[in-house]
Formats: sequence, structure tokens, C-alpha cells
Amino acid sequence: MRMEHISKRFGDFYANKDVSLDVRKGEVHTLLGENGAGKSTLMNILIGLYQPTEGKIFLKGREVRIESPSQAVKLGIGMVHQHFMLVEAMTVFDNIVLGDKNHKGIFIDKEARKREILALSEKYGLDVQPDRLITEISVGEQQRVEILKALYHGAELLILDEPSAALTDIEVEGLFEIMNKLISEGKSIIFISHKMREVLRISDRITILRAGEVVTTVNRGEYDGQGLANLMIGRELSASQYEKKDSQAETVIELRGAEFNKESKHNGLNGVNLSVRKGEIVGIAGVDGNGQTQLAQLVTGVIRPDQGEVSLKNSKVAVFDPDNFIREGVTHVPEDRNLQGLIGDMTIADNLVLRTTDKAEFSSGGGLFLKKGRIRNYARQMAKKYDIRCTSVEQDVRSLSGGNQQKVILARELEAGPDLLVAAHPTRGLDIGATRFVHDEMIQARDSGVGILLISADFDEILEMSDRILVIFEGQIMGEYSGKNPPIEEISLAMTGK
Amino acid sequence: MNKLTKSLSSFVVPLISILLAFLVGMIIMVCMGKNPADALYFLGFGAFGNAANFGTTLSKATPLIFTSLCACFAYRCGVFNLGGEGQFIMGSVAACYVALRSGITGVPAMILCLAAGMAAGGVWGLVPGVLKITRGQNEMIISIMLNYVATLFMGVVYTNWLRDASVPQTEAVPNETKLPRVLTGMRFTYALVIAIVVGLLIYYFLFWTSGGFKLRAVGINMTASRFNGFPVKRYILTSFIVSGAIAGLGGAAELLGTQFRLINGFGAGYGFDGVAMALIGQLHPIATMVVAVFFAALRTGSMTMQAGTGVPTSVSDIIQALVIVFTVAGMALTKLPQFEQLRYRLRSRKGGNAA
Amino acid sequence: MNTAFIANLILATVRMAIPLLLISLGELYGQRAGMVNIGLEGLAAIGSLVGFLVSFVTGSNWLGLLCGALAGVAVNMIYAFATVTLCADHTVYGMAINIFAPALASFIYRVYFGSGSELSQITLMRGVAIPGLKNIPFFGDLLFNQTPMVYITVAIVIFTAIFFKRTQAGLNYKAVGEHPRAAATLGISVIRVKYLACVICGALAGIGGAYLTTCYSNTYTEGNVAGRGFIALAAVIFGRWTSGGILLACLFFGFCDALQIRLQVGSFGIPYQFFQMIPYIATIVVLTLIGAKQAGPKANGKPYRREQR
Repeated sequence: MRMEHISKRFGDFYANKDVSLDVRKGEVHTLLGENGAGKSTLMNILIGLYQPTEGKIFLKGREVRIESPSQAVKLGIGMVHQHFMLVEAMTVFDNIVLGDKNHKGIFIDKEARKREILALSEKYGLDVQPDRLITEISVGEQQRVEILKALYHGAELLILDEPSAALTDIEVEGLFEIMNKLISEGKSIIFISHKMREVLRISDRITILRAGEVVTTVNRGEYDGQGLANLMIGRELSASQYEKKDSQAETVIELRGAEFNKESKHNGLNGVNLSVRKGEIVGIAGVDGNGQTQLAQLVTGVIRPDQGEVSLKNSKVAVFDPDNFIREGVTHVPEDRNLQGLIGDMTIADNLVLRTTDKAEFSSGGGLFLKKGRIRNYARQMAKKYDIRCTSVEQDVRSLSGGNQQKVILARELEAGPDLLVAAHPTRGLDIGATRFVHDEMIQARDSGVGILLISADFDEILEMSDRILVIFEGQIMGEYSGKNPPIEEISLAMTGK
Repeated sequence: MNKLTKSLSSFVVPLISILLAFLVGMIIMVCMGKNPADALYFLGFGAFGNAANFGTTLSKATPLIFTSLCACFAYRCGVFNLGGEGQFIMGSVAACYVALRSGITGVPAMILCLAAGMAAGGVWGLVPGVLKITRGQNEMIISIMLNYVATLFMGVVYTNWLRDASVPQTEAVPNETKLPRVLTGMRFTYALVIAIVVGLLIYYFLFWTSGGFKLRAVGINMTASRFNGFPVKRYILTSFIVSGAIAGLGGAAELLGTQFRLINGFGAGYGFDGVAMALIGQLHPIATMVVAVFFAALRTGSMTMQAGTGVPTSVSDIIQALVIVFTVAGMALTKLPQFEQLRYRLRSRKGGNAA
Repeated sequence: MNTAFIANLILATVRMAIPLLLISLGELYGQRAGMVNIGLEGLAAIGSLVGFLVSFVTGSNWLGLLCGALAGVAVNMIYAFATVTLCADHTVYGMAINIFAPALASFIYRVYFGSGSELSQITLMRGVAIPGLKNIPFFGDLLFNQTPMVYITVAIVIFTAIFFKRTQAGLNYKAVGEHPRAAATLGISVIRVKYLACVICGALAGIGGAYLTTCYSNTYTEGNVAGRGFIALAAVIFGRWTSGGILLACLFFGFCDALQIRLQVGSFGIPYQFFQMIPYIATIVVLTLIGAKQAGPKANGKPYRREQR
């Protein structure tokens, strides 16, 4: 497989520019790049979901045009997406035979096809249970279903998009075994990742993408992790430059034995104890989907615990309602900006004053008449202070880039003068500049006495920012570590449940 | 999209839709062997030609303003109230009872009737609201079912309980309780004044108060509103009640100002018409009122058109229906990414020429 | 209560359920592909008029039903274009159809028949007995001596059940309503399935409307669909998005309708309008009882854009 001079433009933005890539039979070829470097776009072109603006694709030496996903499937290209493309209301079997074109006939011969699936599953050690519903099986098994699905549809070239993001270390080991089996059978794999350790272990060759362009392609062993990281980011990566603090100030929030939906391993909390003091950043480390969402919603009053207590500033909370928590000085940078944080079809100014329109500063008579001029001026100040890049503060917040949207939220939440800031994945999907900005602001807030609960699946972010680190796994807190010289090995192990 | 181009496109799309709808209407007229120019002349004359005609247009517009404001207000809070018709009817039934049975007449009776209408409409709006927030029900189906129930209930009232002797209709409200005309010689009454005041109040509330601001936020993104501490359910329920009350007030005002009695077909279709007008008016209360007057003009004018040229009034119904079909499609079109790209390209070309 | 009363009730239940069932099945095909169409009322209205008009002109009820279906498809293509291609809001556009289609129907009626002329009538489709089965005592005459449309509708219910449960095409079709992007990655043409869904939905809703004028009542009156389009929406929810469940739901609503007509005859001195409210109130009660535990297709009502970032 060879891609030559591929470009893809969205509006005035180049997601890929003049990208060339070749993958040999029986190799693992890694695409390395940061979020937004154009990896996913490139792969979506390869599987026919997007059409390239320019460029050619060759398969086994012949030029092909991949105009639709069905063509890609026919050509033997299969992809396991980062967000699985599985129909949750259906069984594993249904998902695998979905869209099958190899079998003639109107009806599905369930027994015969199940035998085929099980044989294939055995051959590559995939171990799936065809009759279970997707919602009933673990994330690791869902991924194996995805791989099996691609193989069943005749994939020769397999694209794995960040396959380890949602997996535990043990599951990752299993995945690597499967990948080794696949290449020994002559399949080719494009592996997309930004985890250096995995990349170095499994890849035969590595292509590095930065800002939509290819930096270089190297063989394994040519560079070490640090070298690759430098190529990926384009500058030297420095160690944490933030000073760690050991706060002894009063506690802003304390959870004792908090439980929510505790039977669920992925969406529940089980006996969580934690506290955050003023002037410290407590980092919650863990692989995505181990109860972080519920934790963030619990400490902001969106959900009520089934069991246990929550205290704000040493008084027990009785009413679980976001409004109540906000009045107690808790603010929230939620994990899904567009869904939970912003009113997309309202302006930047509107979003900045979302909760404060009743205040005398922005309206007279306690909300009876809005002072729109004041609101606009305030928004302009905020845009300057928080570096929100926009043509006008009257612009719909939806039209901003992710980084600027996040700055709008950050401005709103920090200007509220909180005692506790809950930040869930605050830099997810942001570029380096915006990430740096968000981090600087959070540190500044900490130094001015705000307690911060930082929830992130990005381990580097946790290490860089946290004064104390707590590890969450399947809804339980596995341990607590100091942010100064944290025991990285031990923490990584705790994240996998040990 | 910045504010200016946004308001521009929300103005341009309905305008183009109206032109297109008229174009189709004229093609239909030609196919029927009529002269479209004549028809349009009569249409315009019938609606706006003299003071009397214009008065009729405004009088016809009044109930439409109420039901379209009803739809507009609810939709601003993110709920689709399709029950405007039922709320309108229940309002008129309540007003009718007060007017005929309370024994009071004159201005106090008017005020009482209007208040009763508002209350009845509000209660009729409360039902789908409560079912939505407590049972997660689909408010559209419930509110439509309630339209049929209201229509049948009104049937009970005019065929049984308040029947006027042998005719299946109620007695007329006493003359002293009828809403007076604003200008002699023009048919519209103080009901129109009330409608306009309601429209302006809604505009003020939605765009100049903190409560309206939050209500709009809830309407656009309920999840984010909840995360930001707004009492979402309370807003939804309130919007249903207020929206129902507006329609109920409209029903009462229509009874006291124009119809005077309940009869088969009273209020029929006003609810859906209101939804259509609110959508064409881009959910802006003032634009919505203008659209209501425009629709009323089409209806009034079409009578004259039929008398003058023989083009049936239902051509004007088709034109109205096409306006909504085109507007909604047009708004969707302007939101497509391809459309944004096209506009970007046009703009950059223009920029290139200037440089 | 005698057997004649019960027999009449069952007969009426079936007759009332059929149009509802046709329209609901249309909606099922729509929603299984993620197309929530609340314009059913309008589609049925245009189907009803065209069905009547064609039967009136040609004298053939079959041709009437066919043309009713075509009219439903034609109008629903406007909806399909707006919602699939232009990504318009399904609910809003469904409402537009609900306003447009009845206006079109009444326009055609008035142009053709003129206003104020006396009611035109047609001959209704006659019942066909199924030999053998017809001779079963009591039920034989009730269930196997119906118009062919009843048998056809039941056949569609069975076909639908098999289609969604057992066939490859049905599985692919369902995936479009559940997770269109997943379907697309497997080479299923989401757009094509969605348009196909609109064709089927328009056709069935159109036939449902045409049934009212060709098999049920021999005249056309404005508003003769009388909320069936909306009750059908409730029937799909009540029937849990399966054709069997929808069959039961429609029989229930048909029963309510049949009951109210019988009760009206009985009268008991209560205004007949109260009986007429029964089907509508039953709909509200049923929806309230089943509550929000509804689990429809996951991507229901969501626009699908091919190149979404």
C-alpha cells in the first residue's frame, strides 16, 4: 500500500498536506503524531470515508480510487476506530456479519456463519462470545470484536487507531500478541498511537506526522523515545516546570465512602474517599472509563451518591444540585465542552456571563433589564485576558476552535472566584499552545488559593500538574502518591488494578 | 458566523421562500388558465386595498399572532408545543362560560373572561409539561392528542351544556362584554392591541431579562444548562404553562372580539399555523407577529381573489404551506458545511478582486 | 352483551386497526433507519385524497390504493431531501409536511370537485372470504371474510418481522438507525437506506390514508385522518419498535376506536363527544404508563453527514 502526496482541506484548513506513506506486507507501520496532527483524517481517506483533495493511492502497485467505505472493504482495508464502530443494541454476531457481502442469499445462516467466526477467532486468538450483547462485554473484548469484524470482511491491511487508549496494561499485552500473530500470517498493520513505549516495542517502521505533514519515516531503533517525542512535537520536551506544593490550608471538599452505581466497573464509583485542600492540585489518574465521569459529576452536584457523604468546607451536603454546589464555590470544566459546558448557538459574550446575568454588574433590577453594553465590554476584556481568539465577542461560540472554546469555559469558571475547580480532561483535543495556556492558568489559580481536582486520562498531564496523585480503577481509589518525584512505575501499575 | 450575517440570513431565507412560494402559486394559476397578475392584484387589494380590508386582515391576524407566539415561546425553551389549538380552544371555552354564566358584563367581565382563558390555556399546557418532566414523555404526541380532546370537549359545550336552543352552537356573548373596535370602520378590536402587547412583552422577556436569557440557554442546550445550575425542569414546565396561557388568552380574545360564540370549527388549524409562523419568523417574537399578519393578509386577500378572478382560495393555502416548506429547508441549507465553504470561497474571491 | 355485540366489536376493531397499522409500519421502517417522521398525518391525508380521487375516476379501488401510495412517496421525498440531504431537523420538517400535504389535498379536492357540490361517493372494496378458514365457527366469519387489504397488511407485518430478524438486508438496515457511521464503515450506503426508508414510509402511510377512503368510508372529508398519524407514532413507541408489538398496539387503539363507536350507539345519555375522546385519552394514558423507558434506535432523528469532523 502506498499513498502519495495526499492533501485534504476542510474549508481553509489543511488537515493533511502532501502526505506520502507506504506500508509493506507483514509489517507494523506506526503513525505517530499529536492530537490533531492529521492521523485520523489520513486514515479516513484510506478507508473511503473522506475523499482526498489531492493525491493518489496505490495498492499492490496498482492505482486505486477509494470512493466509498464499501470499496475499501472490498480492497481488503479494515479499520478499528478509536471510538468503536459497534452497534450497542446488537449482539457480537450481528455486528460481525453486518454489511457482509461475501455470502449470497437473503437469509442469514446463523449456524454456518457462527462456525466461520469461531474458526477465525481461534486462529488469531481473539476469544469472543458471539451471542453476547455489545453492552455486556468488556472494552477489551469489544476491540477484539472489531478486529475480528475486519478480518471477517477480508482485511489484508488493518488500521488500528489508538487501540490501547482504553485498555489496561494486560489487555495491551494481549493486543500485541494478536498483532504479532496477524503479521506472521502476512497481514499488514497501520498502528496509530502517541504512546512512546508501545510504539518502540511493536513497530517495524514509524512515520511521524506534525500539523498535517510528514516529518519523516524512520526504522525502529533509529531513535529512542525522547528523540521520537522531539520529532513529534517539534521541540525539546522539558520536565515538569511547575513547582509542586504541599498545601496545609483548609479542606474544600471531602468525599467519604461515596458510591454511585457501584456494580458498574466502567460507570460507577465504589467507596471513594478523597479530599482537596485550598491551594493544591489533586490529580486523578486512570485509564478512561473507570468512573472518572461519575466522579466529576458527583463533586459538582450533577449526580447524587447512592451511599456515602460529601462535605463542602466541612459541612455535609444535603441537596445534590449543581446550583447548590456553584453557590458553595464549586466550578466545573466539564469533560464534554460542547455538550456540557457551552451553549453553542449563543455568543461568546453570552457564554461568559451565563451564570452571572442576575448580578448588578450585568443587569438592573436583579435580572430585569440586561446591560448589554456592559456585557460586551466585559467579554472583550475576558477575550484579551484569556487569549480567546475570535473576530468578535458576538460570534457564536460554536464557531470557535476547541482551544478557544475551552478558554471561554476556563474564563467563566475562574472568574467566578471558585474555592474548588473541577477540571475533567481540560486539555483533551487541544493543541500545544492552548494546553500550555490552560495549564498556566490552572497553576496560577492554585497559587491564588483555589483547590483543583484534575481528572485526566493523560498521565503526563497528571504528572506535570498534580501536587497529589490519586489513582482510580474500576470506580475505586487504588492509592495516593505525592506529586513530588512520584513513583511512576507504581502508579502505572495501580492504573491497571494492581 | 457573526451576528450581522446571521441576522441577515435569517431575514433573507424567509424572503426568498416567500418569493419562491409565490412563483409556484403563479405557475399553478397559469396552469388553471388564470392571469396571475390579476390574481395578485386582487390578492393585494383584498388584503391591504382600503381601510376596511386592512382592518379585516388585522382582525384575522389576531388569533394567529397569539398561537404563533405560543409556539415561539415554547420552542425557545426547547419544547415543541403542538397543542396551541387545544389551549386556544380551552381558553375560549373558559371565557365563554364566564361571559354567559357569571352574570357580570362590561369591562370587569372582559377582564375576567381573558383571565379565565389564560388560566384554562395554562392548565391545558401544564399537562404535557408535567408528563414530559416527570415521565419523560414525548410532548408533541401528548399535546396533539389534547387538541382532539379539547375540540371534542368544546363540542360537548356547544351541543349540550351551553347550547343555543336548536342550533349546535352557544349563545353569543352579551354585547357589553364584546371587545370594542379600536377604530370605527376597521374590524380589528382591542384583541389585536393585547396580542401586540403580549408579543412585545415576550420579546422583552426573552432578550432583555436574565430569566429569558436562561430560558433560551435551556432551549439550546439542556445538558449544559443543567451543569451550570439552571433548574431545567422548572423552565420547561413554566414555558409550557406560559405558552398555553398565551394561546388560551388568544382563544378568549377571539371569542370576545370576533366570533362571539363557540361553534363547529372554532380555532381549527390555528395551532399548527402558529407553529409554522413561529418557524418562518425564526422564533423571534416580533418577526413572528409580522409573519402572522402576512399569512392573515394572504387569507383575507384570497377571498377577494376568488371573487375577482375565480382563482380558488386554496391556492393561497398552498402558497402558505410552501413558504414553510421552503423556509425550513432553506435554513437547513444555510447551516450545511458545504454552504459555509461556498460562502467562504465567494468571500475570498471578492477579497482577491479588491486587492 | 351478546355475541352479536362482541362480534361487531371485533370486526370493527380489525377495521379500525388496519389503517393505523399501515401508517405505524411506515413509521417503523422510517425510524429503523433513524428517520423520525412526524409528518405521517400529512402523508396519510394526501394518500387518502389521491386514493379517493383515483378510485372515483377509474372505479378501481386497487388503482386508488396504488396511487395513494405513490402520492405518499412523492410528498415524502420532499421530507427525505430536506432531512437527509439538507440535514433539516426531522421534527420541524415533519411539521412542515403536516401543514403542506393537507393543504395540497384540499386544493386538489376543491379544484376537482369544486366547493359546495354534494358529497361524491365511491364503492368500497368488498370482503373476500378465505375458503376453509372461513368456516371456523364464530371467528371464521370475523377474521377470514375481510377485504384483501386486511390480509395484505397482516402479510406486511409478518414480512417486516422476518426482514428485521432474519435477513442480511434487514440487519444492515437496522444498523443505519442505530449507528450510521459504523454502517458506513462496513460499506452500507447510509444515504441510500435513508431514502429507501422514506420511500417505504411514504408508501405505507399513503396506503394507510387511502384505505380510509377506499375500504373504510366511501367519501372524502377534510381531516378524515383524524390524528391517526400521531397515534401511529405512539403505536411505534408502544410496540417497542417491533412489528409484532406494533400489531398489538394498533389492535389496542383500534379496539378503543371500535368501542367508542359502539358506546356512542348505546349513548346512555352522555354526550357522544366524550366517547370520541377515548382513543386520544387512551394514547396519552398508554404513553404515560410505559414512561420514558423507551429504547428506540440510537441515532433516531439525528442528521448524518458524510464528512463530519
